[in-house]
Amino acid sequence: MLSHRILRRTFLKTAPALGLLASCGKSSKIRLALNWKPEPEFGGFYAAPYSKHGLDVDILPGGAGTPTVQMIGAGSVDFGIVSADEIILARSHGNDVIALFAVYEDSPTGIMVHASRNLASIGDVLKEGTIAIQSGLPFARLLERKFGFGHVKVVPSPGGDITSFLNDEKFAQQCYLTSEPIAARRKGTAVKVFAVSDIGYNPYTTVLAVSGESLRKNPDRAKAMVAAVRDGWRAYLDDPKAANQQMNQLNPTMDAQTFAEVAEVQKPLIETEATRRDGLGTMSRERWETLIGQFKELGDITQTIPAEECFRLL
Amino acid sequence: MFDNQHVVIAGMNLQIDSGEFLAVLGPSGSGKSTLLRMIARLAEPDSGTIRTEPNGDRFQTAYVFQDAHLLPWRNVLDNAALPLELMGKSRIERNEKARRALEQVGLLAALDRYPAQLSGGMRMRVSLARALVTEPRLLLLDEPFAALDEITRFHLDVQLRELWQRRGMTVIFVTHSVSEAAFLANRAVVMGRSGGAIKLDRILELPSIRNNELRSDPRLGQEMRLLLGAIEE
Amino acid sequence: MKKTLLPPLIPFVLLTLIAEFLVRQGFVRPYLVPAPSAVLRAMIDSRVELVHALLSTSAGSLAGFAMSALTGIAIAVLLSTSRGVQRAFYPYAIFFQTVPLIAIAPLLVIWFGFGIQTVIASAFVASVFPVIANTLSGILSTDPPLRDLFRLYGASPLVTLFKLRLPAAMPQVFTGLRVSAGLAVIGAIVGEFIAGGGLSSVVDIARTQQRIDKVFAAVLLASLLGLGLFGLINLLSYLTLRRWHASEQTQ
Repeated sequence: MLSHRILRRTFLKTAPALGLLASCGKSSKIRLALNWKPEPEFGGFYAAPYSKHGLDVDILPGGAGTPTVQMIGAGSVDFGIVSADEIILARSHGNDVIALFAVYEDSPTGIMVHASRNLASIGDVLKEGTIAIQSGLPFARLLERKFGFGHVKVVPSPGGDITSFLNDEKFAQQCYLTSEPIAARRKGTAVKVFAVSDIGYNPYTTVLAVSGESLRKNPDRAKAMVAAVRDGWRAYLDDPKAANQQMNQLNPTMDAQTFAEVAEVQKPLIETEATRRDGLGTMSRERWETLIGQFKELGDITQTIPAEECFRLL
Repeated sequence: MFDNQHVVIAGMNLQIDSGEFLAVLGPSGSGKSTLLRMIARLAEPDSGTIRTEPNGDRFQTAYVFQDAHLLPWRNVLDNAALPLELMGKSRIERNEKARRALEQVGLLAALDRYPAQLSGGMRMRVSLARALVTEPRLLLLDEPFAALDEITRFHLDVQLRELWQRRGMTVIFVTHSVSEAAFLANRAVVMGRSGGAIKLDRILELPSIRNNELRSDPRLGQEMRLLLGAIEE
Repeated sequence: MKKTLLPPLIPFVLLTLIAEFLVRQGFVRPYLVPAPSAVLRAMIDSRVELVHALLSTSAGSLAGFAMSALTGIAIAVLLSTSRGVQRAFYPYAIFFQTVPLIAIAPLLVIWFGFGIQTVIASAFVASVFPVIANTLSGILSTDPPLRDLFRLYGASPLVTLFKLRLPAAMPQVFTGLRVSAGLAVIGAIVGEFIAGGGLSSVVDIARTQQRIDKVFAAVLLASLLGLGLFGLINLLSYLTLRRWHASEQTQ
């Protein structure tokens, strides 16, 4: 069935091109899709000296529900920002996405509660009241397994909006350590945040990823991209002001002061012992294996995925 | 009277006697329908008066429109009984009177049917019955048979004339058709092209029994010629 | 029945077969578009969860739609009483049509809380305007000769409204209800995304788990719900207007 294979390969080659943006010809403009609005978590990407590494990069801001992992798989973007758990799920469904650079070594996801409740641990949060959480996320299901949701009312995560949280003392909300708590404190409410990594669930977050096919076809480009991004994050950690200004213009929903505050608060998540030893964005096989094991335990994947297929250090 | 700043009828003087069958003719725009609506008190003249004597119960007037305009969600009986219902009569009384009116137009067998199931001619007959159900002393008709085919129209002409003779009411019949006017009426008035001056007011010289034989009578043709002449002036 | 159900089924079956072939042979990647067989399997595997969710979304849609129908007709009747009232308040009715539901849904949650009451409110906001607009149009477009007839026999405006204008408006009322039904389902789904529950919740969780087959299954059920509601209104319309349908065309 030679003709069949040729037909199939041709189709597979053309199908991604029929994706979202028409890539007319072979333009050298590289598309990087973010999975949220421009905020300090992407600072290094905006500060990166792409031209110095011979790259012409177009950063595409995202929002709630931007399907970056599918966009990478479909070929409609060259690089995208995803999280490690998304990569594992994608790979289990046959979507060949590979991690290249992890911005957050430690997951910034947490549960935010009113400080006035004087709760001691994450389990106490689930004893009463309401919790706004993305029920499909692995950590949510881990929480349910460990503590049970029998005594708490589970509602959808409001995606950054803290109005319901502010109005109700017994309302707990999934958050990013770098985001909602700061906003809440601004509004005069004292909060306490329980990091999800405390229950042992700690996926790499804000991860630069690429499709396996793209990596095979153009390894030099991927290498240059990682190098540029690494330089960018170094520059941003040293001085975030310029990139913050640029991002603030693109995303006026956050004010300049918050931008500065968040850039500061996120530092310990980005620069850790591991990065000081092995460089910014580094990832380890052990961390990936732990995560894969947790997914298997949850039943989200049926076969073990080899950890070394999930990431590449360039 | 004025209609959107356009003079429809001006300077009209008309007296109609009780029991007359009056045909009102005229070209389009001569204000025939407007005249009828004013007599029915559906429109008010800007100057001048319309007097009916004796000026008793206003429900002495009935109106038949160009189309039957029945209520499609009611059956034939309820449609015919509508005027009495609006006047507040009891169900028993109005159904009884409606039945009688429908009998007079020959529709007693169709009481339970709905307008959608009736032919154009039958619908017009229901409309007629509806007009007669209050036993009016003045019956106004505005080109009621214009949309029907000729045979149905001839039938209804004869029926209308008989009803008029039996009840002794005054009938004012607006029409475009010279032959219909001549066949039905004992007096005909021709209105002018614009602004309603009366061009002709004539008692027709025709026998009082109007049947299909009259259609081929030369006297009918003569009256028609006279009426047509007045219209075309 | 055969004439209405069979023709639309044919393209559906064809499309399903083509999609199945494309995915099985690898022309389309299964994580972008699921094979119809995978969607079917997801529906069977998760049937308890999906049925539960469908019932919840149905309840929210139906309740919101019922509110729209009753309130919409009532508002239209009120607006029909005077030109002045119309001019003053009709623009606000249009507001219900144009307000972006996604934007006010979070507000609805703040006012009504997390739960089905917000879903109903959302369904209501999404679906009330077509009822108002169509009912009002129907009431105002009554045949002038019929209005003359009622006037001739001394009927008060109120009697004319309930014995003539409202019944005469029924075909247009049903047109409004038909449009409103589908919008009520959409409104309920949007409400659920923010307030939780129902088919939206299934879609959201499945999407997070990258279970695109389950997403399609839930979306398919939501579409069928809208279709079902639409069909129900059509049936009601047929039963109510059965006697006067023919006369609508000739008169």
